[in-house]
Amino acid sequence: MSIIQIAILCGVSALAHVFINVKWRGWLLLGLNITAIYWLQPAMPIRWMDFWLPTLIIAMTVTVWAITARPEMRFTKNNWCAGLFAVLLIICVALTRFISDEGIITASRPPQFGAVLAGLFFIGLIVLTFGKFSNPSKGLLTLFIAGFILIFVFIKLPVLMLLTSKVLRMIVGQNPQTASTFDIRWLGYSYVVFRIIHTIRDRMTGRLPDISLQEFINYVIFYPSMPAGPIDRMERFLKDLRAPVTRSPDTFAIGAERIFSGLIKKFIIADSLAIFSLNAGNALQVNSIVWQWIIVYAYAIQIYMDFSGYTDLAIGMAYWLGVRLPENFNQPYTRANLTQFWNNWHMSLTQWFRGYYFNPLTRSMKSGKIKIPATVVVLVAQVSTMVLIGLWHGMTWNFLLWGLWHGMGMFIHNRWSDFTKPLTIKYEDRTMLKKGWSLFATFLTFQYVALGWVWFALPNLDSSIAVFKRLAGL
Amino acid sequence: MKHPIYLIIFLFILAGSACGTKAEKSGPVTAVELYQQAFAAKDADKVSIYSCADWEAQALMEMDSFQAVDTELENLACTETGNDGDAVLVKCQGIIKTTYGEELREIDLSVRTWRMIQESGEWLVCGAQ
Repeated sequence: MSIIQIAILCGVSALAHVFINVKWRGWLLLGLNITAIYWLQPAMPIRWMDFWLPTLIIAMTVTVWAITARPEMRFTKNNWCAGLFAVLLIICVALTRFISDEGIITASRPPQFGAVLAGLFFIGLIVLTFGKFSNPSKGLLTLFIAGFILIFVFIKLPVLMLLTSKVLRMIVGQNPQTASTFDIRWLGYSYVVFRIIHTIRDRMTGRLPDISLQEFINYVIFYPSMPAGPIDRMERFLKDLRAPVTRSPDTFAIGAERIFSGLIKKFIIADSLAIFSLNAGNALQVNSIVWQWIIVYAYAIQIYMDFSGYTDLAIGMAYWLGVRLPENFNQPYTRANLTQFWNNWHMSLTQWFRGYYFNPLTRSMKSGKIKIPATVVVLVAQVSTMVLIGLWHGMTWNFLLWGLWHGMGMFIHNRWSDFTKPLTIKYEDRTMLKKGWSLFATFLTFQYVALGWVWFALPNLDSSIAVFKRLAGL
Repeated sequence: MKHPIYLIIFLFILAGSACGTKAEKSGPVTAVELYQQAFAAKDADKVSIYSCADWEAQALMEMDSFQAVDTELENLACTETGNDGDAVLVKCQGIIKTTYGEELREIDLSVRTWRMIQESGEWLVCGAQ
């Protein structure tokens, strides 16, 4: 997101804070969220995709609501209104085609109006079919989860990204030969899919609260957190959404403080560090060992400032809208081991993976017919969780190795903790020794995490290995 | 009316259809101008979407040759000059100024006549003579 887009979103959130009331808040948010999803979607070299991809996210959201809501809750007046309001807004976005030759809300001119109507008719048919005839059976819900993951794979795995781009180019009459793996830039899908899977899983386990269509769309595509998180839980989000709005100079100041902090972190610190931090270009140009370490450390600070800056902006804007988004970072680089680091880095993501992958996996491995040693359970669960987190960032060898790096690091730390437990108990009262050890462990953890960024920041194995060699003075 | 939102949606669709039956604002001249602006701004995404399938690769290759220089578009004005079968021919006046260090160059846009075709309601650049 550009600073202008952030400034506009902050302005809109501030206005909403001033004028919002409980009765109309849901509708106001629905309007803002749907408009924002089109407005924030970046331009793409494939014609009309900046219109169709946000439309697809709305369609997916409504379909998931239709299959997860209790049948008797689906066709109420309020839900019809929310659906029709969404359609109306999409039509308004499509109509901007006749006002300008370039995009007004979308990055480029929307498609022909007839195509939009046909698309909306088709989407409406799908939603109504699922809404009328489906029960939230486990089979159907599992199929939906698999479908969303499959789409995710298609937009994250380079070879499939290329294939997707070629197919889309052929559909819209563009040259498939000019397709590239950078063509598909689908804003927010990675985060939307977490919220959708969380909803479907909670329906499967019977934990999903009743939620209206308007509330569900607001939850899934809530504009402060849609582009880069945090990943909120539905029950918590709903509690805020249904609570009376607190409007006072204090609440405004709290939101403003977080936004100010986010702007400083992102646009002053992170963007300044980006000039000399680790990237493919800088990695090639830097020859001295000292500078090689400096660019790696600079990247470690830059990525933290960048990401936690965005989180601060999201939390601040959401605060003005009456929603307390969860924290995503809690001084992660001051933690004394890798497990603690991950409990304080991108917390909403790690909590999601713990709740929906790590815990179910360890439970099933422990309660299975075959007795699996505890060490193996920990190894498999930790490594596979971290590999999945790595692949969620992008399906490349570098992200896979970054996940392995952290998974193995956490497993080694787990074994080390078990091994040194008697010593820890023995020296429990030695405060100075404990403090010294904690400082050393924090230093060591930071080094390990910083070196891990070498996999994350660079585009391929060769460049990462070259940096590791230079860091070692080879 | 019981549900005014239905009426609103109906009116919007009606308005949209009415707009669709009228000649749309965008024509071949505007499309060339947008293409030239995207080209001078080195905006590959827009150059792609303003080009037809046959021209896209050539357009991107031409744009790549400007990557190392600073570019500026000046006095752009295009006019329709005729037809070539289904294609509309458009000629432009204006220059693209390129700067590489101290070296300045001017590319005269009037030397080319653009072939424009219409696909799925969009006017696209589809070659140059």
